[in-house]
Amino acid sequence: MKLGAWLGRRWRLVVLAAYALSGVYFVAPDQQAVVVRFGQVAAKGITPGVHYSLPWPIESVYKLKVLETKRLTVGIEMPDQALGRVAAENPTEYLTGDQNLINVRMAVQYAVKDPAAFLFRSKDVTQLIAKSVESAFAETIAAENVDSLLTTGKVAAQNAMLISAREILDAYASGVFIGSINIESVTPPAEVADAFRESVSARADRDRIVNEAQGYANDTAAKTAGEAEKLVTDAESYRQRRINEAEGDAARFAKLLAESRKAKDVTERRLYLETMEEVLPRMKKVVIDSSGPKSLMDLGIIRPNP
Amino acid sequence: MQERTGRFLTFAALGLVALTLLYRTMFTIDETQFAIVTQFGKPVRTITTAGLKLKWPWQSLLSFEKRLMVYNPRPSEFLTRDKKNIVVDSYVAWRVADPNRFLQTVNDLTGAEMRLHDTVWAAAAAALGNTDLSALVSVRPEEVKVQDVMRQVAEQSRARALEQYGIEIVDVRMKRLNLPAQNRESVFARMRAERERIAKQYRAEGEAEALKIRAEADKERARIISEAYREAEKVRGDGDAQSTRIYAEAYSRDPKFYKLVRTLEAYKKVIDPNTTAILSSDSELLKLLTRGRTN
Repeated sequence: MKLGAWLGRRWRLVVLAAYALSGVYFVAPDQQAVVVRFGQVAAKGITPGVHYSLPWPIESVYKLKVLETKRLTVGIEMPDQALGRVAAENPTEYLTGDQNLINVRMAVQYAVKDPAAFLFRSKDVTQLIAKSVESAFAETIAAENVDSLLTTGKVAAQNAMLISAREILDAYASGVFIGSINIESVTPPAEVADAFRESVSARADRDRIVNEAQGYANDTAAKTAGEAEKLVTDAESYRQRRINEAEGDAARFAKLLAESRKAKDVTERRLYLETMEEVLPRMKKVVIDSSGPKSLMDLGIIRPNP
Repeated sequence: MQERTGRFLTFAALGLVALTLLYRTMFTIDETQFAIVTQFGKPVRTITTAGLKLKWPWQSLLSFEKRLMVYNPRPSEFLTRDKKNIVVDSYVAWRVADPNRFLQTVNDLTGAEMRLHDTVWAAAAAALGNTDLSALVSVRPEEVKVQDVMRQVAEQSRARALEQYGIEIVDVRMKRLNLPAQNRESVFARMRAERERIAKQYRAEGEAEALKIRAEADKERARIISEAYREAEKVRGDGDAQSTRIYAEAYSRDPKFYKLVRTLEAYKKVIDPNTTAILSSDSELLKLLTRGRTN
């Protein structure tokens, strides 16, 4: 039997089979499927694999990439397709707790938590996410001061608004899970940017001045240690010298004494004469005859050396 | 042949009629929709659940959005209780709750948004007029009552919206607070002044800290040097003491001889070419010179 002829005779069966088979569908590994029967959710959370649903128009299948993390930018600049934003939109400013204005850009990462809710609960889920995040942010920074946001308080603000945004979206049963909110940039308005830069550079100045002083302190400490060391070392060398000299002098004296005792008178006379020999040639001498009249002497004879 | 064509046509016509009837009686309602069945323009049945439904062929169908929608009113300026102007940018999360009422009073999205705007605006004006600016923005977190204020707005507008327009206001939230455009210059001036003050404060802090560090370093230096001096003088004193003891021990063995030796030693140092000595002719040295004998 020819296949063509067989098909020709059983074409009704073939059409029916093809219609029935059109209900077979595949769910990719990163997807989940939701089956809708006559518009009503019949099965949700269908896991990856091959599945069968009743063919059109009875059932239809929606597949969602549930494992994919989606990204959304909230805040100033950057066109965002998902929100239909254009780059030309006016910068959006937020009012901080201390009544400063700042421009903020945030990146939101979210994933599908409940596919059926994600598909059918809200009309424009990305807008809902964006608005919730903006609201969470506005509420969070209404109690923050600008310096904290520009420096250390950013992470705390991020966490606070993450919790708040999750609560808001859960209250809407949006089927969305926000993985993270990242404050990408916090900038003061252009009109006051220079003043902010100035205060930042003042902070750098403060650190520089302190560092310089710290450097001076370190330098002084090192020098001082050296100087103190030198003072003590000098003193020790002085002591050693004094002791050595004393010992030397003492030894010399002892030797001299020992010898002089053998011939005391002669030695004493010799020492005296030797000293005179050495000393007298250096100076002017005036000799007075002691046997002459004891009259006043004319001191004019003493003249300084030329 | 003609008979067969006629029969076919009859069948076709009947089939067409059947299909049309089927099409007119069976319909599906999506998860995202409400529907109202009308008979000659008059609503007769409201369908709020999804699925396959039936109606009479002569009835027709109107469907409405069931999903949550977001309405963004224009940012509007409000006056707080302490007479400060503030621009509030909010959004309203809403859905159709009563399709019949909605159909009667609002009908379409634009109309719904117009009415939402009016309702929410009135509630917001009332709520904000009862709130100080410091309850909206403050550096003290416990003072900030934005969420409460907005909850109040939502609650106040909810009943009216539901009753009058069949709209359920799920949530009203503030997504941005700003100051009016005419205040911007003064705000910026204030911000600039504040920055300048902070910059000055930073520098002053730096100077003070630096002074403290330097003074501390100098103080430490004085302490270390004086301690070293104390130590050094002790050591010197010890040296002097020891040398004194050594001298004393040595010289006390013959003080007279020491006196002689030391005096002679001193002459060598004391006497220089400027010294003039007046010597008596009977001095020890010259006695022999003048007298020819030693005594």
